[in-house]
Amino acid sequence: MRILVVEDEAGIRESLREDLARVGFNVDLAADGEEGLHAGTQYPVDIAIIDLGLPKMSGLELIRRLREKSKTFPILILTARDRWQDKVEGLEAGADDYVAKPFHFEEVHARLQALLRRSGGWATAELVCGPIALDTRRQTVRVNDKAVDLTTYEYRLLEHFMLRAGQVLTRTELSERMYEEDVERESNNIDVFMTRLRRKLDPKDELKPFETIRGRGWRFAIPRTKAE
Amino acid sequence: MHSLSRRLLLSLFVPLVVFFGVTMVVLDASFRDVAQRSLRDSLDAQIVALIAAAEQQPDGSFEPAAVSPGLETRLSTPGSGLYAQIQSTEPGDVPWRSNSAAGTFIDFGPPIAAGERRYFPARAQDGSELEIASRGISFEDEKHVRRNLTFSVASTLARYNEQLWRFRRELFGGFFVLTLVLLATLGFVVRWVLSPVRRLEKEINAVEEGTRESLGGGYPRELSGVATNLNTLLIGERNRLERYRDSLGNLAHGLKTPLAVMRSTIEGLASEKARVIAGEVDRMNAIVEHQLKRAASGGALLGQAPLEIEPLLVDLRAAMMQVYMRKDLSITVSVQPSAQFVGDRGDITELLGNLMDNACKWCKERVKVDVTLDPVAEPKQRLRIDIEDDGPGISEGDRARVLERGVRADEKVPGHGLGLAMVRETVDLYGGRLAIEKSTLGGARISLSLPGR
Repeated sequence: MRILVVEDEAGIRESLREDLARVGFNVDLAADGEEGLHAGTQYPVDIAIIDLGLPKMSGLELIRRLREKSKTFPILILTARDRWQDKVEGLEAGADDYVAKPFHFEEVHARLQALLRRSGGWATAELVCGPIALDTRRQTVRVNDKAVDLTTYEYRLLEHFMLRAGQVLTRTELSERMYEEDVERESNNIDVFMTRLRRKLDPKDELKPFETIRGRGWRFAIPRTKAE
Repeated sequence: MHSLSRRLLLSLFVPLVVFFGVTMVVLDASFRDVAQRSLRDSLDAQIVALIAAAEQQPDGSFEPAAVSPGLETRLSTPGSGLYAQIQSTEPGDVPWRSNSAAGTFIDFGPPIAAGERRYFPARAQDGSELEIASRGISFEDEKHVRRNLTFSVASTLARYNEQLWRFRRELFGGFFVLTLVLLATLGFVVRWVLSPVRRLEKEINAVEEGTRESLGGGYPRELSGVATNLNTLLIGERNRLERYRDSLGNLAHGLKTPLAVMRSTIEGLASEKARVIAGEVDRMNAIVEHQLKRAASGGALLGQAPLEIEPLLVDLRAAMMQVYMRKDLSITVSVQPSAQFVGDRGDITELLGNLMDNACKWCKERVKVDVTLDPVAEPKQRLRIDIEDDGPGISEGDRARVLERGVRADEKVPGHGLGLAMVRETVDLYGGRLAIEKSTLGGARISLSLPGR
């Protein structure tokens, strides 16, 4: 895994490099926004950690530029100001998650793992499969252009399915995705969520978005109609 | 006296009334003077006519020729209001009295010496006012006896008074109408002169309510300075706050980065001392965080552009779903279309972020955000935001405590503590209201009333 760290503070940059290398990342470093943009566009980066308060080009600006250049790798923001406005602006600019300074490395590591597992990352702002549209920025779902109220788990489950439309997903895989570190949970729970999701998305049983593959798992049956 | 136009009108009305009052008194006095003089002239004329017409009768009395030039016929009509008598110096000797005086007693006063004149007011028996004129004359009759006679003529003042009152009525009526016309004109002029002030007031109100960012141009010379200065102040204040926030942001960055370095350096160490230092680093960080957040909230500023609340809530909801991705929760947001907050974006984001964060932290699985506009509330409390959850709620005993000001950052307040105290401070800055209630979902409901439209 190749990771780009854009951080102007040498101390933090170094300790991140050490810690990330220790857990198996291949680390690229950048000390300011311009270097970050260069590295982010030139190297095959899998994921990036970007500090918001950067010299030469702000972190927000850097993220915006990277997204403009269709770089879709997940981005984790580091922010010194633990303000909701920064978080909201960061997500709006195209970041995927954020961690406030000072941080525990375990926290950063966990967030990186979650972002990588999500895969697809920022690949698409909107996933559309037939009548079902999922807005990854706003984390909202619409069916036939009517808003459907999903819980966090239901949303993530659906996102996972729609990113992998047509693929068969096993119960174990889904459990891992849903609970992350806590895989021990009963895999029955997945069936509960599937039932709830079906009821919410398709109350009249007309769309039949999920196809049950006996003994293996489920498959999202509606093909992707749009991916931008 | 809190109205300029009332002040102006009153300050013009008082001298006007004084001026008209004095003028009326002066005019009245001179009219009375003239009227009195003309009355006396006519009385004198009657006396002269009487003297000319008087003929001594053989019995020593006098009888004026019944018809003689200048003598009023009223003298021969009883009760006509014009009376005359001739008396000699001897007491009780009244050689002649006019027919008009028959049946009335009029005191013409004592006789006077020859060549003298006298005027005095008197009252007739029936109470009517009279003016009496007398003249003393020395006669020499055929027997060459000198007789001193006093000729007196009395006239009622009824006609004189009537004239006087008619004059007063006309004078007062004329001045009254004139005053009304003047006041109406003044009112109109004052309105016209003060119309730019009214406009200024209206524009300032609009700025206060957030419907305008600054004052318009085209004010008259006397006010254009005020308008320009106000605009400079408004813009200056906004810029100042922005700079202030920027430097606070830099300060936060400057303080927290070394803290982050310390934190990551310590993490590698396993000793007891390192653990203590790590705890202190966390404490310092919390203090910096708390104080900076407090200092950065801007509060109500004039001329803040209103901002749509819905997109903000959509973003915050997405941020919450991200933060709480390890918890299965549902966040529903319903916003009355076009509801706007009048104030700073950072402040409202922080307010809603903190409250939603609390709700997500404490809920079992449901969080609800409702935004409505209350058009009858005062502008500072027009935007109503309810944030509720299905968690344990806040007991009545704790409600006052969690809102306490100045809760120290390192004081670990369980539940909705720190965030709420800060929210309350920000709400106070805007002159809004905050209430903690029990939600129908089972948990806490925080209700905010903030400036909106």
